[in-house]
Amino acid sequence: MMDAVLEARDLYKHFPVSRSLFETVQRVPKDVIHAVDGVSLRLHAGEALGVIGESGSGKTTLGWTMARLHDPTRGSIRLHGTDITNLHGSALMAIRRKIQVVFQDPVGSLDPRLRVWQIVGEPAQAQGHVTRTELRSRVAEILPTVGLPGEGLDQYPHEFSGGGRQRLSLARALIVHPEIVVLDEPTSALDVAVQAQILNRLVALQREMGLSYLMITHNVAAVRYVADRVAVMYLGKLAEVGRVRDVLEHPMHPYTKALLAALPTPVPGRRSARYRVTGEIPTMIHPPVGCRFAARCPFVIPRCIEEEPALRSIPGPVERLVACHRAEEIGDVPPEELVGSVSDTTTRESMRA
Amino acid sequence: MADPILKIEDLSVDYEVGAGTFHALQNVTFEMTPGRVAGIVGETGCGKSTLAHSIPRLLREPPARIRRGKVWFRGIDVLALPKWKLPLVRGTGVSMIFQEPINSLNPAYRIYDQLAEAVRIRKMRDAGRASTRSIGLEPHDYSKGASPTAAEALKGPFLPRSGGRFLRKGRLSNDELRDDVLEYLRLVRINDPETILQLYPHELSGGMRQRIMIAMALSEKPSLLIADEPTSALDITIQAQVLTLMKELMEEVRTSILFISHDLGVIAEMADDVGVMYAGHLVEFGPVDEVYAQPRHPYTKALLRSVPRQYKEDGPLPSLPGSVPNLSRLPSGCTFHPRCPLAREVCARDPGPPLEEARGSVVAGHRAACYFSEEVASLA
Repeated sequence: MMDAVLEARDLYKHFPVSRSLFETVQRVPKDVIHAVDGVSLRLHAGEALGVIGESGSGKTTLGWTMARLHDPTRGSIRLHGTDITNLHGSALMAIRRKIQVVFQDPVGSLDPRLRVWQIVGEPAQAQGHVTRTELRSRVAEILPTVGLPGEGLDQYPHEFSGGGRQRLSLARALIVHPEIVVLDEPTSALDVAVQAQILNRLVALQREMGLSYLMITHNVAAVRYVADRVAVMYLGKLAEVGRVRDVLEHPMHPYTKALLAALPTPVPGRRSARYRVTGEIPTMIHPPVGCRFAARCPFVIPRCIEEEPALRSIPGPVERLVACHRAEEIGDVPPEELVGSVSDTTTRESMRA
Repeated sequence: MADPILKIEDLSVDYEVGAGTFHALQNVTFEMTPGRVAGIVGETGCGKSTLAHSIPRLLREPPARIRRGKVWFRGIDVLALPKWKLPLVRGTGVSMIFQEPINSLNPAYRIYDQLAEAVRIRKMRDAGRASTRSIGLEPHDYSKGASPTAAEALKGPFLPRSGGRFLRKGRLSNDELRDDVLEYLRLVRINDPETILQLYPHELSGGMRQRIMIAMALSEKPSLLIADEPTSALDITIQAQVLTLMKELMEEVRTSILFISHDLGVIAEMADDVGVMYAGHLVEFGPVDEVYAQPRHPYTKALLRSVPRQYKEDGPLPSLPGSVPNLSRLPSGCTFHPRCPLAREVCARDPGPPLEEARGSVVAGHRAACYFSEEVASLA
């Protein structure tokens, strides 16, 4: 068994929903959003672990909580086996040097009034006093590693293109030489041509600097290229975990199948009838009792509604975890053969044909 | 072959702002055949949204300025129309769906009121109260085979003087209106339309809001629907639902669609023809399967190749060096030449290759703006 650099054990993060004064006085029970609801996940040394899911699946909250940007409601986080769940103050500062985050929005996360050397150098400065000249030379050193010229120290973020800003965010995370980088939607703001440049850079950096990545994204193509393993999240829980090739080529969980079948691919002539799930992601305030995907799942049986499936290991040569009662039965059914099983749009399609 | 429903000729649009003149569109020329879906694909800032907005004249002028060109919609030169006649091209002629449905819906009104407004205007027209016949803009039924004529389009008056009063409530029974609104909600597969009607936009999910927008756009029975990144703000499974819905509706309502997207996959899914834009130029246009299988412009080829389809063990992703040029300081000649693997001296010198029938292409109507289009196939 490989060592985990970062591990979440049965992690919960709930956000309270604000109540009006009237509701407070009336003692209406407090509602919470179950953003992360019992997730156990290990990030191994030197690996890239992708977390995919749609908006509202809790993937960003999971990443932020594991990087200790949110305090977990329950559960624990371990860095090299040491519990870091309740650290604060200087002890927390110390682990920040090991875990860095690249934030989602490269426009919003860079202060428009600061110059490049100030933005990129800020984490280094926060770790301890550095003189201005030293800081500038460290920034000048790190910029070429992300593919930016080392001379642009006095530029402002608005002078950079979208890809350039994403590179700045990356440089800012790397300046303290972290072990773990949490990448929160690293490519969502970028066009395909620029995205390819950034993804290549990410993979190269991981090899050169021996980084571990926790990559949070809805972009399956990006995960396919960067990640070694992938975890699929749905409504605050993990649906499936496994090696990236296994999961993307042989998805076992019905949600993973649906997600992959819904991906539009630029292959001419591939416009077949597809496996569609109906309905939308339910609210996370009152998550369903049984399986969270049951309401949209074409394979639902009574057991799914009564009993929540645990994330269990599927026997095989490599680690594969699936949270589905019927994983063995439906795991091997290719998505194309699922058409017409339940969804009303597909039945309509087949009726016309 | 039917007359084109939309014909854009040599369209050039600039934005004049403090920092200079930005050439958002340059000499864009293409045609849309009725009943087909034309896709426009390109990266951020390539001018695809400017193109979409210039068809129903939704550009803000200034800063935008239409420097040159013609937009023929069913034989009507839209750019030559006086402003007060534009409402007739919009709605029953051209409808539009935008990227962020939350920005297009009024947060202060219930769904019913917003949909009813569109339905009411359309019903007024159908009832002859607001004449559309006289300007030849009634929705054309392509199933009958005849192509739309539009030459005499703008002769008659199009709205009675008291048009404003007709558009208000009163003349139509509310029950009738309500039935129609419910009908449109069912058309976009909303399961519980009675409840939805009473809600405000913020109470709906993104996918639901986009369905409402589609219902609104279709309630005018447009002959051309322009969809500007309609699913880019949606999640993958919801996007798939909306795309399936749009494909089904296309057959039911018989409308032509101009589909704008940055996503090559979505375009492959939806479009019959595709136009590829780069820095304000339409660099390639043709049947989608042909363009994707045999791109004839080096930019199209590079764009298609940069979609990640491989694992990292398979080596680095092919990527296009450099970045998109600044639209106020475009390079001389072909705008793509500084990044182009095929670039030669002539590419920088000449005024830029025109969009013409691609050499070596077996399919008619496959056009590319490249001097060396026959060499693109040999590019790695």
